[in-house]
Amino acid sequence: MRPFLLEGGSVSQMPVAEGKSVQQTVELLTRKLEMLGAEKQGTFCVDCETYHTAASTLGSQGQAGKLMYVMHNSEYPLSCFALFENGPCLVADTNFDVLMVKLKGFFQSAKASKIETRGTRYQYCDFLVKVGTVTMGPSARGISVEVEYGPCVVASDCWSLLLEFLQSFLGSHTPGAPTVFGNRHDAVYSPADTMVQYMELFNKIRKQQQVPVAGIR
Amino acid sequence: MADVLSVGVNLEAFAQAISAIQALRSSVSRVFDCLKDGMRNKETLEGREKAFIANFQDNLHSVNRDLNELERLSNLVGKPSENHPLHNSGLLSLDPVQDKTPLYSQLLQAYKWSNKLQYHAGLASGLLNQQSLKRSANQMGVSAKRRPKAQPTTLVLPPQYVDDVISRIDRMFPEMSIHLSRPNGTSAMLLVTLGKVLKVIVVMRSLFIDRTIVKGYNENVYAEDGKLDIWSKSNYQVFQKVTDHATTALLHYQLPQMPDVVVRSFMTWLRSYIKLFQAPCQRCGKFLQDGLPPTWRDFRTLEAFHDTCRQ
Repeated sequence: MRPFLLEGGSVSQMPVAEGKSVQQTVELLTRKLEMLGAEKQGTFCVDCETYHTAASTLGSQGQAGKLMYVMHNSEYPLSCFALFENGPCLVADTNFDVLMVKLKGFFQSAKASKIETRGTRYQYCDFLVKVGTVTMGPSARGISVEVEYGPCVVASDCWSLLLEFLQSFLGSHTPGAPTVFGNRHDAVYSPADTMVQYMELFNKIRKQQQVPVAGIR
Repeated sequence: MADVLSVGVNLEAFAQAISAIQALRSSVSRVFDCLKDGMRNKETLEGREKAFIANFQDNLHSVNRDLNELERLSNLVGKPSENHPLHNSGLLSLDPVQDKTPLYSQLLQAYKWSNKLQYHAGLASGLLNQQSLKRSANQMGVSAKRRPKAQPTTLVLPPQYVDDVISRIDRMFPEMSIHLSRPNGTSAMLLVTLGKVLKVIVVMRSLFIDRTIVKGYNENVYAEDGKLDIWSKSNYQVFQKVTDHATTALLHYQLPQMPDVVVRSFMTWLRSYIKLFQAPCQRCGKFLQDGLPPTWRDFRTLEAFHDTCRQ
């Protein structure tokens, strides 16, 4: 079961410490994890591209174009995820990217919209922790931390367990329960839920203005 | 060895059949000798031919007689019993190299030993129950009735009975479902699914629980050939821990005379794992200890404890 994501950088949940950069905060986190006893297990990468519906298909009603996000996750290397903001999430194979090229008439790529997070994976007992730096273009915009608890498949069951684990290495900066849990209580967790959370995270980071990286809020 | 294998064979008829074969062999060789010797020297050609033919006919008649005798005896001998008490391992007795690999005789000895042990243990438990330390009058009354007569062995129960017991237990708890199958012979294999938390494979021997393996809800419990995979461990440390605890539990809940009570208690204990990820430890109050949730369930009170926190 993998739930959640929290972001860093300079937003309320995890303020970058005074005088430190994103890089150093990431190093701080990874050192804490290693002290806890986690083992490094390679790297990960999650990226996201934005497309908006082309003007030609909007029709006379003048409705606002919808934004579609196409995401990849190195944890599922053979899949490609496509989602709308409040809408369904499609899980397809990697040929979907080629399909998007063919659908140029309907979906146009937004300029300079690619955002991604890269970092290292750690394994601690049955927990999988991924700490990554969120970058948009050349600049680092924040930190993402993902924690997955493998054995449990129902999202709402193990939230307290996860919270306790987070507190052990994040200290007091732990977030509230993700919205993904709210609506369905006994549903089995799926990778699409992870991607929805990443999408929300990236949107949040994108909306922030470019802030000096060594600031505190 | 002979009495175990050839339970249905008539030994006397067997011995008679062997001597009948010898008789048949000798009469056949007499026929060929007669042919080889040819005609005896007699006065006339006719006399010689007649004597030869008469001799030849006699020999053929004796062959016929012996053959019929052999057929009659072979029908009496009967087939060796099809259902070996040891099933396929009875075929080990056909191994000709007995001194280098005395597997079969050792196997038999092991079975005899364990059966004797079972019998003696049954007698001993009957005697010990008489000397119980409980003070209630009821208990004395019950055991006075049940004098230690030869208890029927609960090791060989009809499979229908086992099916009934399991289906009754299946209906007991709504969040636990038990599926019974017999892919390998008569021992039942149960696949117990507890809510959306875990799956347990229980291998049984008549109504006694032999082994258990606990795996996660999303893990695959079937091998490539479609049968239940009863050997591979779970990929998650928490379920490996719960498997160890389950093995301890099945050693703890023991009652040779009433195995269905044992299975019921085991399932009740197992059901307490429905809140594996939600219950904090009763002793330290936390959820995680070394990365593991409270995996121990007390055998009497069913409370959750960490493995390192249990008393």
